[in-house]
Amino acid sequence: MKLPAPNALVGGTLIGFLGIVAAISSVWTPFDPLKLSFRAKLAAPSAMHWLGTDEFGRDVLSRLMAGAATSVWISLLTVALAVSLGTVIGLFSGYVRGWVDRTIMAFNDALLAFPGILLALGLLAVVGANKYGIILALGIAYAPSVARIVRGTVLSLREREFISASRVMGNSEGFTMARHILPNCIAPLTVLATSMFGWVLLAESSLSFLGLGVPPPAPTWGNMLAGSRPYIGQAVWLGIFPGLAISLTLLGINLLGDALRDKLDPRMRGAR
Amino acid sequence: MNRLLASAFALLALASPAAAQSITVAVAADIRSNNPGVNRDDNTDDFALQLVEGLVGYNEGGVATPLLAEKVDLSADGKTYTFTLRQGVKFHNGAELSSADVLWSWNRYMDPKTDWRCTSEFDGRSGLKVEEATAPDPRTFVMKIDKPNALFLDTLARTDCAMTAILHKDSVKADGSWDKPIGTGPYKFGEWKRGEYFTMTAFEGYKSPKDGGKADGYVGSKRPLLKDVKFLIVKDPATVKAGLLSGALDLAEILPSDAAELKKNPKLSVAAEPNAVRHVFLIQVKDAVMGNQKLRQAIAAALDMDEIVAAFYNDLGKPNTSPIYSGSSYFGEVEKKGLSFDPARAKKLLQEAGYKGEKIVILANKRPIVPSFPAAVVAQQMLQAVGVNAEIEVLDWATQLDRYNKGNYQMQSFSFSARFDPAIAFEQFSGPKDKQPRKVWDNPEAQKQIDKLFVTSDRAERQTIVDELHKRVIDEVPMIFAFNGLDIIAHAKRIQGFKPWQSKLRMWEVTLAN
Amino acid sequence: MLRFALTRILMSVPTLLIVSVSVFGLIRLIPGDPASLMLGDLATPASIADLQARLGLDQSLPVQFGIWFGNLLKGDLGQSISSQQAVLPLILSRFWISAQIVLVAVLLASLVAVPAGVIAAWKQDSSLDLSLVAVATLLLSIPTFWLGLLLLLFFGLKLEWLPVVGYVSIAENPVAGILYLIMPIMTLFLHEIGVILRMARASTLEVLRLDYITHARAKGLTESAVLWNHAFKNAFGPTWTLIGLVLGNLLGGIAVVETVFTIPGLGRLLVDSIFARDYPVIQGCMLFVAFTYVLVNLVIDLCYPIFDPRVSAQ
Repeated sequence: MKLPAPNALVGGTLIGFLGIVAAISSVWTPFDPLKLSFRAKLAAPSAMHWLGTDEFGRDVLSRLMAGAATSVWISLLTVALAVSLGTVIGLFSGYVRGWVDRTIMAFNDALLAFPGILLALGLLAVVGANKYGIILALGIAYAPSVARIVRGTVLSLREREFISASRVMGNSEGFTMARHILPNCIAPLTVLATSMFGWVLLAESSLSFLGLGVPPPAPTWGNMLAGSRPYIGQAVWLGIFPGLAISLTLLGINLLGDALRDKLDPRMRGAR
Repeated sequence: MNRLLASAFALLALASPAAAQSITVAVAADIRSNNPGVNRDDNTDDFALQLVEGLVGYNEGGVATPLLAEKVDLSADGKTYTFTLRQGVKFHNGAELSSADVLWSWNRYMDPKTDWRCTSEFDGRSGLKVEEATAPDPRTFVMKIDKPNALFLDTLARTDCAMTAILHKDSVKADGSWDKPIGTGPYKFGEWKRGEYFTMTAFEGYKSPKDGGKADGYVGSKRPLLKDVKFLIVKDPATVKAGLLSGALDLAEILPSDAAELKKNPKLSVAAEPNAVRHVFLIQVKDAVMGNQKLRQAIAAALDMDEIVAAFYNDLGKPNTSPIYSGSSYFGEVEKKGLSFDPARAKKLLQEAGYKGEKIVILANKRPIVPSFPAAVVAQQMLQAVGVNAEIEVLDWATQLDRYNKGNYQMQSFSFSARFDPAIAFEQFSGPKDKQPRKVWDNPEAQKQIDKLFVTSDRAERQTIVDELHKRVIDEVPMIFAFNGLDIIAHAKRIQGFKPWQSKLRMWEVTLAN
Repeated sequence: MLRFALTRILMSVPTLLIVSVSVFGLIRLIPGDPASLMLGDLATPASIADLQARLGLDQSLPVQFGIWFGNLLKGDLGQSISSQQAVLPLILSRFWISAQIVLVAVLLASLVAVPAGVIAAWKQDSSLDLSLVAVATLLLSIPTFWLGLLLLLFFGLKLEWLPVVGYVSIAENPVAGILYLIMPIMTLFLHEIGVILRMARASTLEVLRLDYITHARAKGLTESAVLWNHAFKNAFGPTWTLIGLVLGNLLGGIAVVETVFTIPGLGRLLVDSIFARDYPVIQGCMLFVAFTYVLVNLVIDLCYPIFDPRVSAQ
């Protein structure tokens, strides 16, 4: 029995911790994350409020814990939506080629050429500004990059010997796709998906900053970070803690992603 | 590296020789045009009214007072206004002001092709019609209206009408298209780099309506004592703050949350003055839930206004639950008595109302300079505390305004723009909802009283009507007035004589020490 | 090669068509209209209707689209509703400002991040690799508006090296112009290092596992020769694609940085016009960004065969 790789160990610990915090927050937080307190506005970290309070006197630690669940949930669903949508489109398009590919890619590029903010604003206005709106908007906004990368991989793999070999051996196109092409997409996709996880956390924050109507009063790490900006001089903890939470989560996800890829990629076994 | 940058800065300083007498002011948005009263918003009006002037303008208390006119005489039947112009007033191009210029300006405004924002206020479509305008001699201008109107001069002086400013005819090109404003104001139009900045320079030939150095609204002493003023467009309040601290900006509106910190800075002063903007929770009484008057009264009693104000203005602001702004001369003892915070009564009223936990959505927007969002957050918390199932929905401003115009909401955390006269202040939100869905208060009896305010000139009678209307609003709760706006301006200590007034950054009578 | 380029340009026509139709539709699905925004809370229905008629917004959507599209074919993108400027010159002047920031930032970031990514992959799981990945992840996870503000506070306020607000174009005053651009470029640069480093590392890892690397090693080539001749060149392809994506996305997403540093660029123009519902400007900006994006990706694809000989230009 070997020890797990260091990236898996560190990443797993970080993400495990995040999961535990998110789980705990659903039953218990030190204070009510929505409870205002006018006597404790912008209080510095103390024995009572470990991470201080915000501009409405709400406990930052409690909000951070409650925000963990919301932020992670939004990010996970968005990434899942974008990856599944993008993979299907990319695989199909890259494999069939010809005019179907060209048409699909024209649509794909059109979608890609939309800056995410406009797409998000437009879709949020249509579906309503709530977390499902964000998931849908960002999911659709990110799917084209997935499609493009998957298609790119498919195109470059088509030229390789083992794909031709599979065809020569009389395997069906579908089998070739599932058996030989999809596994080879997993590595670049894992990297993209983990990056995307970070993008979503940040995009939500940037949308709040630009005032595009995403933030609910309930806490997410993104809107906590965006809302902390005016107080950077007086209450630096307001931004540091959600910022750190985002950074550590991303670090964990990325390390875990790398480890996962090493395990999933068949060619990796015994390579080192 | 440091030295290199320092010398680069020295170069920069040399490049602008007027730096010593000029100041840089931050504004949140670009002007829409330099065509007064045509393509405009509040920010555009503010700039225009440094450059141009009308026959009458508001004084500090919001009363229309002669400006380019020396005096205004009203005929006995209340329909003929005779304006006598001040002598020796010059346009920026050196030409002397005469009644011919006034007539030319008026005819231009009433020409539909001009697209003046206020044409419909004077052509009978809004109830007031100017039937004739003449210039019998160079110093006299006469206007005849169809029926007596207590607000005629007030309407002429409105800032969104750009004070019905008198322009020289060279302001338009030979083909009739707009060129640039040649007015009689204390400052001349300088340069405009769209999206970056706009400037103005002192008008040496300016003739101030009064001397003595005391600014009084748009009248009073108006000497241009600064050589150049540059208005720099800075959108992000955090950047504004950094600019003030670094000295790159001399004057700017700041966030209330930064006031205490900036006050402590030895180089800066902070001035705060209340204005006529009224922050309010709108209620749609046509909504199935909100139609219940007891419920609305419960909501009003559940709100602790002191804390709602404090959520945005900290210790700088005060609640005012009257539709009349606190600086108005109509704001008397009756208006001071408004809503009171009483959670026990709120709970009792909720029971009487038969409220069963129906969801109530409060719309809000997150523009940094308005209290919409923080006020909504605090109100939501207070409503939940008495058992009202309140939720907040954050929208962008254009969407919220659209919902307001369509009357499509339960509650909104909203702000009414400044209106000085009580008649206009009430008219702003009351009227028939079926014709104008944006109207918030639809009460035919109250409407009759408001209509009376428009034609009555008697001060005591008007006060009585205002008092009655105030009491009705408090009792009926068609909306909940919370507090008035505050202009919070930080400026370098070396700037002297600046006083914020009705969100306008008046640059006259402002001087620079050293 | 030339034929490939021409085909690609022709292929981009439907993309741009789709963009123009969907932008036109999408922005009109968003509630709010420019007329009532301009008139504010005192607008009467009559004055809103007047203004809408003047702006041509009272006509049916297909008619409005027809007029706009007809003008577009003549090269006229219309006039801004709020500033009444012609849209195309407006966009071009703003684009130039954004482009210099984005191009310099991405160029610098690639110069640092691509070699760093290759080295991280080469030394996979070493402490050097872990710390590079950690730094990249950290940079990636700081929102640009937060990073920008930190830079502003540090270099602008604390050290007083760089100007805090305002903008001077390089054409007007080259020294001052560059000073004003340093912090926005630095912000984007730091952020993009994170993005590009991770991608470069991942692509190199992929390549290092391939058979021909093993062959190369087996042939007895030195490690540095393997790294340079095989790994680096092959890893550059996917990274190159990503840089294309980054460039395209940044033009739309630069609004945040421009807001922080008061840069009158294309991103801020777009966000401002979204808030003002300035339809002609939004349409113009989107179409322009889409066009730039297509162009950038065309150039990227044309360069692809140079780096990855296995993909031939078709």
